[in-house]
Amino acid sequence: MHIKTLILIIINSLIALVIALLSFSSYQQFSNVLNNRILLQLNSIKTLKQNQIEHVLKSEWERFETSEVYSQNIDTTVLKLPDSIKNKSGIYDLTAYHVDKKTTIGFISNSKRGTMIKVFDYNKIKQILLERTGMGDSGESYLVGTDFRMRSQSRFYPNKTPYSILVKTKGVTNALKGINSKSIFKDYRGVDVYSVNSLIAVKNLKMVILSEIDVNEVTLPLKELKERLLGLTLAIFLLAVMLSLFLTRIISNPIKNMQKSLRIMAEGDYNQTNEFIKNSKEIKEMFDALANLKASLQGAVKFSDDIGKMNLHTNFKPKSSNDQLGKSLLAMRDKLIEFRNNEENTRILSKRMLVNGMEDERRRLSRELHDGVGPYLTSLKHYIENRVKNELKKAEMKKIVDDTISEIRLMSNALMPASIDDFGIGVTLTNFIESLKKSTTVTIEYEDLTQQENSNITNHQAINLFRISQELINNSLKHADAKNIRITLSEFDEFISLFYFDDGIGFDINTVKLGLGIINIKERVEICNGTITIHATPGNTTFEIELPIEL
Amino acid sequence: MNKIKLIIADDHELFRKGLAELLRKHDDIKIVKSVADGIEFMQLINSPFEADIVLLDITMPNMDGFQVLKELKTLNSDIKPIVISMHNDGNYIAKCAKMGAYGYLLKNTDEAELILAIRSVNNGKKYFSAEISEKMINFMSTQSISENILSNKETEVLGLISKGLTTKEIAAKLFVSSRTIETHRANILKKLEVKNTAELIKKATKMNLV
Repeated sequence: MHIKTLILIIINSLIALVIALLSFSSYQQFSNVLNNRILLQLNSIKTLKQNQIEHVLKSEWERFETSEVYSQNIDTTVLKLPDSIKNKSGIYDLTAYHVDKKTTIGFISNSKRGTMIKVFDYNKIKQILLERTGMGDSGESYLVGTDFRMRSQSRFYPNKTPYSILVKTKGVTNALKGINSKSIFKDYRGVDVYSVNSLIAVKNLKMVILSEIDVNEVTLPLKELKERLLGLTLAIFLLAVMLSLFLTRIISNPIKNMQKSLRIMAEGDYNQTNEFIKNSKEIKEMFDALANLKASLQGAVKFSDDIGKMNLHTNFKPKSSNDQLGKSLLAMRDKLIEFRNNEENTRILSKRMLVNGMEDERRRLSRELHDGVGPYLTSLKHYIENRVKNELKKAEMKKIVDDTISEIRLMSNALMPASIDDFGIGVTLTNFIESLKKSTTVTIEYEDLTQQENSNITNHQAINLFRISQELINNSLKHADAKNIRITLSEFDEFISLFYFDDGIGFDINTVKLGLGIINIKERVEICNGTITIHATPGNTTFEIELPIEL
Repeated sequence: MNKIKLIIADDHELFRKGLAELLRKHDDIKIVKSVADGIEFMQLINSPFEADIVLLDITMPNMDGFQVLKELKTLNSDIKPIVISMHNDGNYIAKCAKMGAYGYLLKNTDEAELILAIRSVNNGKKYFSAEISEKMINFMSTQSISENILSNKETEVLGLISKGLTTKEIAAKLFVSSRTIETHRANILKKLEVKNTAELIKKATKMNLV
């Protein structure tokens, strides 16, 4: 389920519940109050009328009793009284005996002087009953006889004889039992009414007085209230829905955006630069956290990218001690550095072995020429000295042999001077340069500052320094058009420094194509764990080579 | 007349034979023994054996000519060594001369010179031909061994420091790297037991080094 729907449902059902509860309770309260008010009002009206009626009857009765006029002042054509009634004095409801069943209340007095009968003027009661102040449109007060027939004119059936209307309602029944009830009953029309009632009992007269008002009329404002409440409820509900829609948008939009961002990130793209509306502190913090996450992932991605390109000296700091990704990447980098170092070592080692093998071979060849072929040639010379008698031929042959020996010496020295093994690099370079001076016009000055005794330069370093010097001099003579070459070889406690200078035309270090010369020199420096610095400007080309003293 | 008693020490048999044949023509020279390496030679002279001169090769297996020269010097032997070698570099010659060789010959030396050398040495003289001497002197002239506290280079550097040149300027002037000058400077400070340049110049002036 979407978070939007969820929030909508929760908020709105809550609001709806509250409104419904409030409306219901206020409506209930209001209707209760109204009921009570109405019933109280009806009751007071009824009581007033009851009192008035009783008072009228009583005062009429007293007047009748004290009256001196003995007459049976009744129209016997309409009123047919049975004798049994005449025997007892009192007030009677004589309606049942009236021919037209017109409501008739009669006073009967039985004394020594005879029977007195008087029909009470019903209009007096009628006036009381017709007084309808505070009864609204549908209110009425009426009387009912003990036979449950109406005694006063109904407002609703003005053309019907009251006696013909049967009022067997709960109110009447209660009243006849002597219970003054006030409640909502159905009246004689079958309509719900607020009804209060009580029994009027004066002398022998028993009648029930009821004051009633239609529920419909009373509850009209209640209905209006109900409608208004409904309308209000609806309006509030609509407002609530709109508000909650707005609210959910505030909450769910950032969440949706975040979801989108996270999805993009999950696909491996950490470079998205979507701007989001941050409408609250929490959401701002959430996006800051997302930005942090993104930054850290971007850092990790960049770092792993660098690692992938073997830029192993890239700096990277894990975001925290819990940054497993960062830590793994670091571990990976360290492993790669280790691998690369191992590879580098292996590479240098194999190169060194290759160079050493080559130099050993050169040495062997050089010695073979110098100490093998050389002595044979000297033996040949001895032979010539001993055996050739012709002096001219002898001299000629001796010269050829001597020249050959010289050539052998040159070849041997070029391959690998024996001095390197017997005297070290300092002296060997001295010899080498001395022999060069004979064949070139370039001024070569060499300064040997190595230790004569107890030199710490290894044979391996010596050979490589010699080869480097050979190569450098060769380059200067062949390509640089130099007039002067200065070489200084210094030995210190910590390092050996070979400084080479020429005043030739120089070269571009990056595009130099002196055969493989420079590359070879660099390689030889590398396999000796040394460093080389090259400055090449016209008139001032220098090579600074440093090798460590390895004890 | 006593014959010159000669030992030949060389690892090449053919060479020994050729040389012996050459020398046999000269009545005043007698080859008393031929040995193939230094050890054999040392065994020989440690036994009661008489010889005047040894023609000594440098490059030999087991024990080379340099070691033999050293042993002879230690033993204070009467046998006078003449080095006969294929090496014609000044450093070999200088080393042999320093180690007590009475002469230095190249293996392809002409017969006449060989005989001259043997006879000269036998007369108690040293024999280094003009060519050999030149090579030796050329080599020795490049060697700058200083008897002072400071090496020649260090004295030179000190002089430039006292003139107020910077390390870079000195390096450029002396055709060395800046680090070389720095190291020289540090070594000078250490040798003169001073801590900084001001003290250095003070002490150097006092010692008449600059």
